[in-house]
Amino acid sequence: MIRAKFSDSQVIVIEHYKEVFNRSAQSFAAQSSAKKLILARKEGKFLHEGSQYSDGFDIRQFFYASSVMGCLYDCDYCYLQGLYPSANTVLFVNLEDAFEQLAPYLGEDTLVATSYDTDTMAIESLTHQTKSWLGFAARNEKLHLEIRTKSANIKALKNNTPNDRVTLAWTLSPQEIIDRYEHATPSLEKRLSAVREAIALGWKVRLCIDPVIYTENFDILYPKLIDRIFDLIDSGSIEHLTLGSFRMSQSHLRSLKKLRRSDVAFFPYTVKDEMATYPETIESYILETLLAKAAQYLPQERIRTWQRQS
Amino acid sequence: MIYLITALDAEAKPLCDHYRLKRDSSLPYTLYRNDEMTLLIGGIGKANTMMALSALLGWRIPETGDILINIGICGAPSEYTIGEALLIHQLFEGERRYYPDILYPHTLREVSLVCIDSPQSIVRDYPVDMESSAIFQAASRFFKLHQMAFIKIVSDHFTPESVTKEGAMDLVRSHVNTLDELIRNLQSIQVDASLFTSQERQEINAFKEHFTKSQGDALEDALNYFRLKNPEQSLKIDHEIPHSKRERSQLLETLIHTLTA
Repeated sequence: MIRAKFSDSQVIVIEHYKEVFNRSAQSFAAQSSAKKLILARKEGKFLHEGSQYSDGFDIRQFFYASSVMGCLYDCDYCYLQGLYPSANTVLFVNLEDAFEQLAPYLGEDTLVATSYDTDTMAIESLTHQTKSWLGFAARNEKLHLEIRTKSANIKALKNNTPNDRVTLAWTLSPQEIIDRYEHATPSLEKRLSAVREAIALGWKVRLCIDPVIYTENFDILYPKLIDRIFDLIDSGSIEHLTLGSFRMSQSHLRSLKKLRRSDVAFFPYTVKDEMATYPETIESYILETLLAKAAQYLPQERIRTWQRQS
Repeated sequence: MIYLITALDAEAKPLCDHYRLKRDSSLPYTLYRNDEMTLLIGGIGKANTMMALSALLGWRIPETGDILINIGICGAPSEYTIGEALLIHQLFEGERRYYPDILYPHTLREVSLVCIDSPQSIVRDYPVDMESSAIFQAASRFFKLHQMAFIKIVSDHFTPESVTKEGAMDLVRSHVNTLDELIRNLQSIQVDASLFTSQERQEINAFKEHFTKSQGDALEDALNYFRLKNPEQSLKIDHEIPHSKRERSQLLETLIHTLTA
């Protein structure tokens, strides 16, 4: 079914995805403009424990699912550039094995982030993975899903009944930041339009201004973004607004620097406990500025922030 | 620099004519060169090729933006027309497989190629040659995968005895335009990783000598930040270096702050 969508494409039969995806001497930067799709069966674990860089929303069992490696989008600040040796995308076609691996945990509340190493909604028309996850969540009452996306494609949602254990989390950025750092992603206005539609359909939505990229006109761009969001979206209709400034593990940042693709990699971050963040004064300034702005629209308890635990 | 590698003199001759290459005797291998191109005749078989190519690339280490193309004739199943040029996307050598990155649009037929040890009279499922896997292995120490390409012209349907020197020359000559296009395509996708001009690089390196390694790294990051953020703005590093260590550190701190503001 997937191959039928690429009837004009060249097909190369391989033994194992790693023989292409993990090759040495690949250029992530060069591949980014001509990404290839690798179809494979995943052996081993689909589920991994949630990371310290993410919010588990107080659910004790927090996993992320790795059903796709690589992303259709090409964001300069993305840790995938440091995590993977290739800009190509590996799509695992045996998602049913992920559900099987998850089953033993579903006696208690369990959160799965389905779009952690990729943007599953962006390639939904190809994979139908979101549709499968939504169907699985509908059948398992302890399963909570977080589907994070920048996509404007919400077709999967239209064909499913809204489920209050499923949260759609849209990452939003000022259009200037999208133009500069979030290559091949939908515009802010398209994302906001998708958010409105999802809310109208009855889905739970969280908005994420995360990562915030600190730029010379930060204090104009980001407050303007918050105003624009709540010009279009009723603040009572979203679960949370999440705010978080850019952060990355030191090892991923080193890989990003080697690519020399974007100024984001070279900011003089503060590194503590292997994590690079903006210096404390900037990080605090970012959060204080955005918290004050967001508080004009939302009560404090519906604004979540990511901040380094000191 | 464009690195071309062939196995045979006959494959090289039309390329020397087309690109006006002159013999270069710097190495104990057959080399032809001009300002933009180096052609190596590596000889027949994997061992010869690997030694010759390693010697060439060790002598003239490729830079970012350079490309390597292996061009030559191959045997192929009868479904491939004699004279057809094939672009290789997968190389087999026994159980091993190698994949050059094809990141550009093109009009050639893409195929897998089996690299074998001796001329082949047994009909195989794939086109065959005798050098490609060795070229890939040697070249991938020096080039990224998107910097290399393998183009093979079908010379026979597993009847190597039918291939003549003149025939091989004609086949390659008939595809010099195909090669021109492949060179253009490969060059079009090369990523320029150097952010600074050679003049700027010289100034930066000279300036960094007055600082410790970690201070130099921090300065390098700040310079990269500045250039990526302001690609059009010129960079001038000609500050007078203070004598005291403390003042030098202050100068560096101010400079980094200015570059990343």
